[in-house]
Amino acid sequence: MNTLIKLEIVRTLRNKKFMFFSVLYPAALYLLIAGGASTTEVVKGTHLTLPLLMMVSMASFGAITAVLMGNSERIAKEREKGWVRQLRLTALPGRGYVTAKVASAAVVSLPSILVVFAVAAAVKNVRMDAAWQWFALTGAIWAGSIVFAALGVAVGYLATGDAVRPITMIIYFGLSILGGLWMPTSTFPKWLQDIAEWVPTHAYAALGQAIEQGNAPHMKDVSILVAYLVLFAGAAAWLYRKDTRKA
Amino acid sequence: MTTTMSTFTGEGRRTGAPVVSFEHVSKSFGEVRAVADLDLELYPGETVALLGPNGAGKSSTLDLLLGLRTPDAGRVELFGTTPQQAIARGKVGAMLQSGGLMEDVKVRELVKLACDLHPRAYPLEQVLEQADLTEIADRMVNKLSGGQEQRVRFALATAGANELVVLDEPTTGMDVTARQAFWSVMRQQAREGRAILFATHYLEEADAIADRVIVLHRGRVLADGSAAEIKAKAGARRIVFDLDGHIGEAALRELPFLSSLEISGRTVRIQSHDADATVHALYGLGLYPRNLEVAGLGLEQAFIAITDAATAEEAAR
Repeated sequence: MNTLIKLEIVRTLRNKKFMFFSVLYPAALYLLIAGGASTTEVVKGTHLTLPLLMMVSMASFGAITAVLMGNSERIAKEREKGWVRQLRLTALPGRGYVTAKVASAAVVSLPSILVVFAVAAAVKNVRMDAAWQWFALTGAIWAGSIVFAALGVAVGYLATGDAVRPITMIIYFGLSILGGLWMPTSTFPKWLQDIAEWVPTHAYAALGQAIEQGNAPHMKDVSILVAYLVLFAGAAAWLYRKDTRKA
Repeated sequence: MTTTMSTFTGEGRRTGAPVVSFEHVSKSFGEVRAVADLDLELYPGETVALLGPNGAGKSSTLDLLLGLRTPDAGRVELFGTTPQQAIARGKVGAMLQSGGLMEDVKVRELVKLACDLHPRAYPLEQVLEQADLTEIADRMVNKLSGGQEQRVRFALATAGANELVVLDEPTTGMDVTARQAFWSVMRQQAREGRAILFATHYLEEADAIADRVIVLHRGRVLADGSAAEIKAKAGARRIVFDLDGHIGEAALRELPFLSSLEISGRTVRIQSHDADATVHALYGLGLYPRNLEVAGLGLEQAFIAITDAATAEEAAR
């Protein structure tokens, strides 16, 4: 199984176009949104600046982009080409394939997070109270992206061919907006806020927000993410085993 | 013609517990019955060819055997367990037509993956060598020709010590040399006691390599026996001889068990259901046939005869 994980990582790194897009796109988006914002003015209801808030949001958004888009489309393609069928004829257990896919996605999401941080610190002069917050943020956003990597695997199994991209896009933008990665959920109507609270991206963003305010993440958000991870990974492994379509 | 040959006289190697066992297995796709009440057993050391016209159920049968599909009814067992378990224990190596390859990796990396996943793997270099991949081991998989891809699939299927090797149209796209090399490796594997099951369109391959031939037709076993038995089942043998002097065509037409007669110049060509009786009667006519040859039909002609007869019978019903 370790060989498969290594091989998945190697081939992801070889895919230069995909790496380039996934790693640089969130940082570019960050500059677009936060580029003109004041570096000292505090956002209403917090004691944080917009460039800092957006740094965490865009790092999270970028990590999701890398793992969700990367996994779902590539897996759907591999199923179509019959590679998954071939792999099912080896002694590899079902969880092996899912683990390898999640691991290779994590390799892409880490640099995408770091680049957003570096750009924010260099261009918008973002600073935090303590050094540990940088490390905690990196760790939390990276670990949280695993949930969406598993979702990507599941989507790659659910959809085929031409349907993968639109389905991924709907999930991706739906979750990003609903979870408050693009604008704070406090701007939503009450009923939508109630729903948003249970969306994985909301819990994911909340991890980062707690840390940037100098607190530990809430147990509720961590629990929600773990529950989604179990759900998505379980669904992915089940779909892998069940997949008998030739396509 | 729906009765099957129950006695197998191939190499007489039916020893031990069956490697593969199908019990009353059926599988339909919508209205189409791909596999209909199929009973089948394979034993260690057998090399079995699965023949059948397109749509006979060959691929469906292999999919069921490998656990890639589940039967609607009946039971499929490999080594006394489910196909999935047998595969997880590394007892089965398979080469599928529909099996794709991983992209953005080198041949060596992909074959190494297969070796690492196999519980009783052979050394990587040996697997590469055997599949004739050593020279192209550092090429990217997505840059290979069809024949080279097929050799990579072969390497994946033979990365470890399997007890059953399943091959679906294995030599498609290979040139003659690659094909010969392929079968020499397979023969070696059979000698080591493995069961080999292959589906093929090349009937001469089935004739030359298999010690047992199974003919499928509309999801059923139409014939099951050695290549010689299949040819005999088709019935006809070919008799060719030359005659001097006057050839009495009317008298020749009266010969017993005749199914066809053709005269060109001095040469007479006959197809007969019982060549021994026909030749005996030929001498009984007082004729003196020269250059007499009696030969069986090729497997291909036998195969066509058997499946055509089955189709005609079904149409008549």
